[in-house]
This record gives sequence, structure tokens and C-alpha cells, in this order.
Amino acid sequence: MIKKLLIANRGEIVPRVMRACRDLDIKTVTVYSDADKDMFYLQEADETYNIGPANPIKSYLNIEALVEVIKTSGVDAVHPGYGFLSENASFAGAVAVNGAVWVGPAPAILKAIDSKCYCRKIANDAGVPVVPGTIDKINDVAEIYRFASEHGYPIVLKLDKGGGGKGIELVEEEAQVKDAYERLARIGKISFGHPECYVEKEIRKPRHIEIQFLTDQFGNCICLGERECSIQRRYQKIIEESPSPVVSEAERAVLFDYTSRLALAMGYRGAGTMEYLRSEDGKFYFMEINARLQVEHPVTEFLTGIDIVKKQLTIASGERLGITQEEIDFRGHAIEARVYAEDPVTFHPSPGTITKVDFPVTDSNFLRIDHAVEEGGKVPPYYDPLLAKVIAWGPDRPEAVERLKNALSDFDIEGIKTTIPVNLLILSSSDFIAGCLDTGFIEALYLKDKEASVKPLWPCM
Amino acid sequence: MEVTIKAHMPGLVARVVVNEGDRVEAGQEVAVINCMKNELSVLSESKGIVKKILVQEWDEMEVGSPMVILEA
Repeated sequence: MIKKLLIANRGEIVPRVMRACRDLDIKTVTVYSDADKDMFYLQEADETYNIGPANPIKSYLNIEALVEVIKTSGVDAVHPGYGFLSENASFAGAVAVNGAVWVGPAPAILKAIDSKCYCRKIANDAGVPVVPGTIDKINDVAEIYRFASEHGYPIVLKLDKGGGGKGIELVEEEAQVKDAYERLARIGKISFGHPECYVEKEIRKPRHIEIQFLTDQFGNCICLGERECSIQRRYQKIIEESPSPVVSEAERAVLFDYTSRLALAMGYRGAGTMEYLRSEDGKFYFMEINARLQVEHPVTEFLTGIDIVKKQLTIASGERLGITQEEIDFRGHAIEARVYAEDPVTFHPSPGTITKVDFPVTDSNFLRIDHAVEEGGKVPPYYDPLLAKVIAWGPDRPEAVERLKNALSDFDIEGIKTTIPVNLLILSSSDFIAGCLDTGFIEALYLKDKEASVKPLWPCM
Repeated sequence: MEVTIKAHMPGLVARVVVNEGDRVEAGQEVAVINCMKNELSVLSESKGIVKKILVQEWDEMEVGSPMVILEA
């Protein structure tokens, strides 16, 4: 079993991983940039190290600095959290070279799945439907015209090695093709070092549905249900829930089959997520794989009672899954709201100092808050705006939603602006209550609200 | 008359989009600040010639940090 773990990340995920370590009797090592030196969770770690200035490239993305910490502290494993270097094959490789265990899939897998076309190919070969489009990268603009003449517009051009919502171009008509292709190649070259792209048919008004899975090194794979993540803005998720209001028992079984087949075909080890799009006419298409712990993992933990971080750590230690698919007990409904440090009207970032916090009363059965918030704490402008996740459980969807709304109403953060009013507006909207969701939900809600009134957009502020 | 264009948000300088000697109009973007992964334009309030660029990529900005000096 792992004895001492480096948590190579910042923010709310650090205390989350530390909690699992406490339960498993693992010592913890944390790191911080100059901007994060006063974060409360640092004091709770067994050891903590400064890894550089505020700029993430020089700190949380600085492989050399992190390797130095591995050597100095003598950790035998590294948990990369999410974001930053969590899916970086070079870092995973460097961890292994320095004699520590990487809590996640092998570097070779991380390297391979960095290519979306590789993922599309392996899915296609495994009989898992992918969004209609080219499986291979395209070599010239003529291939795009050829695809469009066969399938019609709109189409979407995507970078083979894009990410974070960057490297996607929607093309509505033939006249836009050439410009879009050239722009994408330019972005790819500058931002990712790879200009290659492929083409897909646009799926209109899709739902974003993902399957959480766990695999061990003995070829066992279990699926821990789906998460509906359609409520997002600019590819940033806002509300996640499980089960999805639309996925039937039969569809779930099919998605589980796709997911475990793909994970095993890749030789994947650890926790991961397969993302699917569901079209308006109810078809599912594999989109991509997230080879890390996800922000929204608590939703699944509430639903199944399985501690995903603990499972990551025991699997990385070489243990068996210890649970079969049949033994998983899916109970009730779980829902998460992400609280961002953003202006609820303009969505502009809102860094600063938290002058006051009042948390809702949590309860291990019904309400959980994962956060990096404390009175007097700083919210630096250099990193992701995620402040906290509020997760509620109920025997059914209405009760879970009600609990979440009550908790958000009782959650008071002062000194900076937060998106709590946005969450409340979403949860109270008739479309949300009816379960009518797609990835254009926020835009539509915004528009409706604007048309309905000339009053401030979010009167509950 | 010299005019200093200052950061309106904290964050990191993502890029400077003008060069010394460039002519800029009021409302024109002169730099971009990355604040919490959002790219925000820094606009010139007046027109003039770029006299001096005080920042470079990845510099840490606070609200009011001087970025560009214009000869208005």
C-alpha cells in the first residue's frame, strides 16, 4: 500500500484527497505557489513545499519543481488531481522514473489518448459509435468539402490535440470552410503545437452524459453510473447530476457495455470517465475519455457509497477492485452545483479576498461541500475560478434539488462575487425541473430572462 | 501628454498586441490579461502613439498596474 502521497495540485481537490489519505493511513505532502502560501489545507498536510511563483507554468505546471519535491520528500506515489498536469504523459513518466507510483493510467495511455483521432479509432474498432465524421486526421481542405457534400452542413472542425474548449470551429456553410480550417490550424500550432484536425457532423442540442468507471490491473472494470452534465457554459460545467433524467435502464446497460469494452481495450488502470453525447433523437455517441479524477466525482460517490479517491489509491497500490458490478447499489438521486468566483450577471472573474463565509449545515447522508474557502482567504486571479462544490442527495430528484437549493441559499460568501445566484436560477427554472436539458441551456435561460424583464438579470443577488 | 494604460483586472499578461511606435485609437485593444483562465482585453481610453511597453508575457498584474505608456 502507498505510504506517503504527493498531491500535485491546488484548491478544493487537495483537502478532498487528504481526507481519503487519512482514512487509509497515508501520509500527505502538499505543494503551493507563492500566491497560495496561506491556503488552510497546507497546515493539515504532513509536509508542504513551495514550488515557485504564482504563474502556473512556473509552479503547478513545473515538472522539474515537482520532481524535486518527490526526491526531497521521499513520497512513493503522486496524485495529480484534475487540470494542471493530471493527464500529462511526461509528468506521469517522470514520476515513474523517480520511483513513485502515478495514481492514474500509465504514461503510454495518457500519450495515446491525447489524440482524439486515436480515441475515435479505438472506439470505432471496439464497435462503440462515435460522432459521424472522419476517423483519421484530414490532410487538406478538399477532404472537408467531400465530407460536407456527403453529410451536409453544419459541420464541426476539431483539433486532434485540442482541449479545454479550445480548438473547435463550427462551420455552417461552404463559404466558411477555408477560413475556419486555416484559423484552426493556426490555433493548433500556437496553443498545442499540433495543427492537425478532423471533421465531425454537428450534433444539434446534445446532452452531455458521461460514465464513471474503475478498472484494476487484473482486467476488472466496473461502471458507477452516468452523470448528466448538460448544464454548462463555454464547456465549463455548472450542474451535474445522477441519474440522468433521460437515460433508461436499457440505455444505461448499453453505455456500461461501451465503457467497459473501451477501457479494457485500452488497458486502462484506475478511475476514468467516458464522455458521450446524446442527440435529440436519443442516439449516443462516444466523445472522449477523461483519464483522471473528475471535479464532479462526488455525485457518483453519493449515489453509490463508493469513495472514488480511495479506490484510486488502492488500485494504484496494485490491489483488486474488490467489488463487482452486481454489488453496486445505486441509491436515490445526487446533484452537484459548482460555485465559481465569477460575477453572476456578466460571468466576469471575481478574484479577491473572502471577508466572510457562512456554510450551510452539512450531513454525511444528505449534504456535502468540497471547497477551498475560508474567512480571510485569498482567491488568486491566476487559477481556475472554482471555489466550492455543493452536493446534495435525496431519495428522488425533486428532493435532491430541494436540498441543494436550500443549501445554496444558506451559503454566504462575502468579499468576492460568486455564481450561487446563477445556480439558484437554474435550479428554479421550469425546464430544469422538467429535466429538459441540453448544452445550450444556459444561453437559452439567459435569453429568456433578458426578454422577460428589464430588471437586473439576477434579482436574488 | 503622457497617458498610462493600467490593468483593470488582476492576473497574468497573456500578450501585448501593440508595439512601441504604433498608433492606437480610443477603444483599441493594447494587451490581454488572463484572469482565472479568462482572456480579458485591456483597451486604450485615448488615441495616441505607443511610447513604451512596460510589461511582458506572464507578468503578474494587479488592478492599476501600469502596462503601456501612450503619447496622446
